[in-house]
Amino acid sequence: MTTAYPLPSNLSPATVANTASLLRIVALALISGAAIASRLFAVINFESIIHEFDPWFNYRATRVLASQGFYEFWNWFDPTAWYPLGRVVGGTVYPGLMATSGVIYNFLHALNLPVDIRNVCVLLAPGFSALTAWATYMFTKEMKDESAGLLAAAFIGIVPGYISRSVAGSYDNEAIAIFLLMFTFYCWIKALKQGSALFGTIAAIFYFYMVAAWGGYVFITNMIPLHALVLILMGRFSSRLYVGYSSWYAIGTLASMQVPFVGFQPVKTSEHMGALAVFGLLQIVAFGQLVRSHVSSAQFQKLLYASVVATGILGTAVFGLLTYKGWIAPWTGRFYSLWDTGYAKKYIPIIASVSEHQPTAWPSFFMDLQFLIFLFPAGVILCFRELRDEHIFVIIYAVMASYFAGVMVRLMLTLTPVVCVASAVALSTLLDTYIDPKEPDTGDDTKSESEATVVSASGTNGSSFSATPTPTPSKKIKKAAAAAAAPLPTSGIISDLVAATGGPTRRGEPIKTKGIFGMDSRLIVIMHTLAMLSFFVFHCTWVTSNAYSSPSVVLASTNQDGSQHIIDDFREAYYWLRQNTPEDAVVMSWWDYGYQIAGMADRPTLVDNNTWNNTHIATVGKAMSSTEENAYPILRKHDVDYVLVIFGGLIGYSGDDINKFLWMVRIAQGVWPDEIQEPNYFTPQGEYRIDDMASQTMKNSLMYKMSYYRFAELFGGNQAMDRVRQQQVPKVGPTLDYLDEAFTSENWIVRIYQVKKEDLLGRDLKSANAFGQGKKRKRTKPVPRRRAIV
Amino acid sequence: MRSLFALLLLPFAFAAKDPQQQLVDLSTAGNGVIKLDATTFDLLTSPKRTWSAAIQLTALDKRRRCTPCMEFDPSWNMVAKSWTSVPKEQRNTHFFATLDFDDAPTVFQKLGLSSAPIVYVYPPAEGPRQPANGKTAPSKYDFSTGFEPGPLAEHISKHTPIPVPYKDPIDWARWASMAVGGLGLLFVLRFISPILTNRWTWAVGTVVTSLIMTSGYMFTRIRNSPYSGGGGNWIAAGYQNQFGQEVQVVAFIYGLLAFSFLMLIMIVPYQSSPYRQRMQVYLWTGVIMIIYSILVSLFRVKNRGYPFKLFL
Amino acid sequence: MLSFRRIFLLIAAVTSAVSAKSSTGDSVLVVVEPSRQNDYSIFFNGLKEKGYELTFRAPKEEKPVIIQDDVPSFAHVILFASETKNFAKDITPQSLVELLSLKTNLIIALSTKQTPLSSLAAEFSIVLPPPGTPLVSYFPERSEPPSVIPIAPDSSSSILSKDIHPVWFSGVPMSLGNNPLLFPILRAPAESFAAEVDGGSADALVDSAEKGGEGLWAGSQLSVVTGFQALGGARVTWVGGVELFSDEYAKKEVSKSVESGNKKFASDIATWTFQETLVLRIDRTEHHLVNATSPKEHYTTGDEVEFAAYISKFNPKTGKWDPCACRKDIQLDFTMLDPHVRTALPPVPGAPGKYGTAFRVPDRHGVFKFVIDYKRKGWTHLHSSTTVPVVPPRHDGYPRFLSAAWPYYAGAISTSVAFLLFSALWLAGDVREMKKSKGKSE
Repeated sequence: MTTAYPLPSNLSPATVANTASLLRIVALALISGAAIASRLFAVINFESIIHEFDPWFNYRATRVLASQGFYEFWNWFDPTAWYPLGRVVGGTVYPGLMATSGVIYNFLHALNLPVDIRNVCVLLAPGFSALTAWATYMFTKEMKDESAGLLAAAFIGIVPGYISRSVAGSYDNEAIAIFLLMFTFYCWIKALKQGSALFGTIAAIFYFYMVAAWGGYVFITNMIPLHALVLILMGRFSSRLYVGYSSWYAIGTLASMQVPFVGFQPVKTSEHMGALAVFGLLQIVAFGQLVRSHVSSAQFQKLLYASVVATGILGTAVFGLLTYKGWIAPWTGRFYSLWDTGYAKKYIPIIASVSEHQPTAWPSFFMDLQFLIFLFPAGVILCFRELRDEHIFVIIYAVMASYFAGVMVRLMLTLTPVVCVASAVALSTLLDTYIDPKEPDTGDDTKSESEATVVSASGTNGSSFSATPTPTPSKKIKKAAAAAAAPLPTSGIISDLVAATGGPTRRGEPIKTKGIFGMDSRLIVIMHTLAMLSFFVFHCTWVTSNAYSSPSVVLASTNQDGSQHIIDDFREAYYWLRQNTPEDAVVMSWWDYGYQIAGMADRPTLVDNNTWNNTHIATVGKAMSSTEENAYPILRKHDVDYVLVIFGGLIGYSGDDINKFLWMVRIAQGVWPDEIQEPNYFTPQGEYRIDDMASQTMKNSLMYKMSYYRFAELFGGNQAMDRVRQQQVPKVGPTLDYLDEAFTSENWIVRIYQVKKEDLLGRDLKSANAFGQGKKRKRTKPVPRRRAIV
Repeated sequence: MRSLFALLLLPFAFAAKDPQQQLVDLSTAGNGVIKLDATTFDLLTSPKRTWSAAIQLTALDKRRRCTPCMEFDPSWNMVAKSWTSVPKEQRNTHFFATLDFDDAPTVFQKLGLSSAPIVYVYPPAEGPRQPANGKTAPSKYDFSTGFEPGPLAEHISKHTPIPVPYKDPIDWARWASMAVGGLGLLFVLRFISPILTNRWTWAVGTVVTSLIMTSGYMFTRIRNSPYSGGGGNWIAAGYQNQFGQEVQVVAFIYGLLAFSFLMLIMIVPYQSSPYRQRMQVYLWTGVIMIIYSILVSLFRVKNRGYPFKLFL
Repeated sequence: MLSFRRIFLLIAAVTSAVSAKSSTGDSVLVVVEPSRQNDYSIFFNGLKEKGYELTFRAPKEEKPVIIQDDVPSFAHVILFASETKNFAKDITPQSLVELLSLKTNLIIALSTKQTPLSSLAAEFSIVLPPPGTPLVSYFPERSEPPSVIPIAPDSSSSILSKDIHPVWFSGVPMSLGNNPLLFPILRAPAESFAAEVDGGSADALVDSAEKGGEGLWAGSQLSVVTGFQALGGARVTWVGGVELFSDEYAKKEVSKSVESGNKKFASDIATWTFQETLVLRIDRTEHHLVNATSPKEHYTTGDEVEFAAYISKFNPKTGKWDPCACRKDIQLDFTMLDPHVRTALPPVPGAPGKYGTAFRVPDRHGVFKFVIDYKRKGWTHLHSSTTVPVVPPRHDGYPRFLSAAWPYYAGAISTSVAFLLFSALWLAGDVREMKKSKGKSE
């Protein structure tokens, strides 16, 4: 037979296989290296520091865990958070992350490697990204073959959509969650293919790990049952499915209920009911199969099906009833807002206010996934071509994840793996086709030869169709294949499509000869594929280094001469707090900064990023958005000593409190609708202004006063300019009677105010101030004590 | 029943000097809503009022081109109508009124209003229902919850002696159509079942869905951003923003690229004649190159700082 | 210079074996017109005998300053220059308030003239009549002018010593605003009123009465000697007329062979103002579980907790702090945002100065505070706040076996038993049986 380029003929298949596997191992090692290395930009550009907000809490919790051991951590009650309510940390966190790094820490110390806990935390995410690459490799191997697996591993290793959550220092649950997600799915696919209870159990164990690690476990809890359900509906029920699912669900659910934070949710809340229902359905169907295999009377089967359907309906009805009665909690707001997208903004402003809960515009998709985003539909189509059970999983995953990623930015994270897998499948199929040296001869040839070509192809690129275990097709699959093969409205391309779709599932019929003629068409395709891949690499490197590697604790700007200028106001201010305030000084700020204050300044805070108590947050919002006189009693009642605000007006840091102010107002309005009204903070024209035209309520609000206190003086008589709002600040700035400016950081990003104590003589502080500045007080009218004599 | 009641009131209507009685008549005449002008406005909001009043200040005249007014008016009337069903003694202590800009521009000037619609709720200034905190100033209804009658009734109920008995009307038409549609679906099912069981229908469905989702459809849904910016610019400025039209364009680009890859993978290898095959290879490669560079340049428009570019 | 005086005072304090001591120090600055200094010799000598170091200074003099480098130079200040319009620049209303924040006690005498001090009075929510309107009364019938009034002190006052004879007073009355820190020591007689006898204008009085409501400047709701205790603990006494301290009034007889109570009254006021009497302090507080001794750093919901405070009172005789079981009405709050527990803190019999109580921690976790906030007219304000977190039970702190949970126990046990039986039967099952069933299934 003719080949496009000469092949070494004297190689034994064994040698080929060994070389291939060696190459695979080397490749995987290199991929892991690349994955870790590309996540170290943050450490190199800045330093080994914990990033933005939540990681600071995880880090703090991990320190407790590492120093006091797991039981103390479990019972940890943090009196400095949510002052004065306190927070039962042990019962309200997903301990997986802390436990992981705690284990690593102790392990290293057992080896006499005195590693600082901080470095363990910082480098945890990159480390796990390597594992993720491996898990993705295994997963994709199940989908197609090793070569596709390698491609997928390479993609997930450097794709920005995943790097954004896992650079060194972003010590968050997602860091380990994605690995767990992929590995759980891999085990599930294995369990499904082999019908092995062992893999089912492994899947359950990793599911438990996932539950302990990330709230997003609900995604798994619904994906796997959905897959099972679709399989059943497609008539692909098999004992393998039964064994795999039952072992996963039973063990996984029991295990997940051991996590204190989850507790009895798996049997109580709607998010988990789907899994339970599918479990029940499986039992019914299995029973039906069993009976049918024993009894063979038609009407009995009719009856059986009727009963199955009836049971299904009955179950749904019961579920509905329970939910209605409130024995099963309805969907929690966070999940509900995924479906009814208008829900959050109306009823739970806190959830809507979080930036990462915003919907995703298409540029972010392209930014995070670049050319994978359009290879991925091709991959999905290829999954449809050979429709094995595991491909159905990928398909469902693709649809679900792309919807979720569209609704919430942060869920881009769950989309990324399936995009990598699908596009890897597509790309590797392309390469398989165009690297394959076999020249088809123009005449028709027989099936046997085409088989041979497939094998030889497998030899060269280390892949093999025949190696992947295709499930023994049941009648149904045959039927499906037949359906696919059934004549359709034929245009040229479609007929080709149908011909092509047969794939390996077709047996017995002669397939059209398949192959590429000549070198040039091979070369051009391979070349432009390689070009795309290298472009992808450049893109990822650029995005990672520019967009996703800044630890929002330290800001970087570039001077005119292009040199980097570090803005370190946050740490400056937090360390000021740590050094200059008493241990138990309570600091009030908007909840975004709670974790950082606790982590870096080590001071009690009123509210923090774990937004579990809406009322308490609303209280802070009310204090911030009402006048000094009304805010002061709130501050005193909560023993607030310092108030901290973020103000970007001087250097144009747009993420400051004035821009978040409306959320504070909204949240406060949700609780005190007749004291705080959002419209009062707009100008009559309905604009949000901070200059002279700002509404009176706005100007008198504590937040406005604290942000612009003495701001105009900075410009020495010139017109003061807010660089974020691009508006001119009034020349005569606001005055403060109940607070004292205590600290303002270098670039005015952080401003800290001290709350005054009550006046010595029991006056209200406003008049006390007036007296202190020597103003004349007008004669107060005395209270008449004369009673009417009756 | 109501007409009968109106008849009952008729004799009073002539003799009535008591302002409240006048208002009652007016509202009965206006079917629950008092149509205000400058004088009746002062009457209704007199500082000695023992009743509460909810007033919609609007501009329904076509020439005013106040679309929100048009949207809001029906729900206002529905809520007001529901109030007419409460017993007399409560009903006569709270009034719904509508003041059109063209009837009394002076009132708008007096209240310093420049926009419409606006709903003011006047609590009673005297009498048993006078608010405890003594605040008799009107409170403004916040339209942030939209123009639906439900929240409006909820808000007004805070100021009425008894809650406004408003219920959302059941949309029978919708239910009926849904039922019919469902039945029709079941009926059609048996004919189109070959199409439904065919994997390629599903494949197309899946791919189209994910294409639309990944090109930012949900963003436009949630932020209900316009279809295009007008003036021919269909690309929204800014990285975190987009127009409806971009969804289509981007989805199309993605689809085309994916399609040409599929061509390379699934069709080209099956060509029997080398010439046709070569042609197709070049064709699809070219398509991919060009479309991809278009996509990148489009992205550069959205994200200014993006350093890379392809052929164009 | 300053340190010199301090040392000298110290030595004086140690050596002089005189009886009374103040709890805050013995240095007194008297600001008085030199010409009138000798009119109050009885009062001053009384203070000297008690062992106070008096320093005299004319209002216009620069030295000695009352505050040097934010440190008060004297423990107490007496302002008798009641008619002076303008003082030296370091004596301003602001500086006097600052003195209070530095725990310096003041005796301030007012007069019918408008002076900086009368503007300062407003800050204490004391309202003075318009200038030139002293208090007058025509009862009882007497030879003195109506503006010189004998006033019988209220014997129930805890500040004044018992059975003081009536006190000669002439000066301005004060109307007291509703400031809880303010309380009258000597009230005006019921039949007295403010009138424009020396150069005041009638209509000014009228319209201020208009402002304040009818009959404002008359009757016993007016006060002539007023005590004020700042939140910082410093004490101020406002006296309507400086003559109250004068030798003339001290010698003057209220009725035949009954000499006036001025001397005693003046010294009582000084005694109170200079923190000799009615001075309390909390030495320490302690809290622990019932029948435990050492305090825990946090308590669990539902614990039985014991709290105790040790309070002692200053004894001017010895100059020592003696434990005092003298207060019966002290309260303890156990509060988070709002007091969850509010209970009496009675003195513990047998343990002088110890006030204790025991209560059950509420079933609510959070950061709680033991708060004692004790404010009584004339007495030192007592305030103490101890923060302690209240935590939920540990994960193993809950009851292990619940009778309500027996269904679950039963379920678990029966399932495991059933599983054992099943596997046993399966393993011991007959082989042919299985074959048959297999044959059937195919």
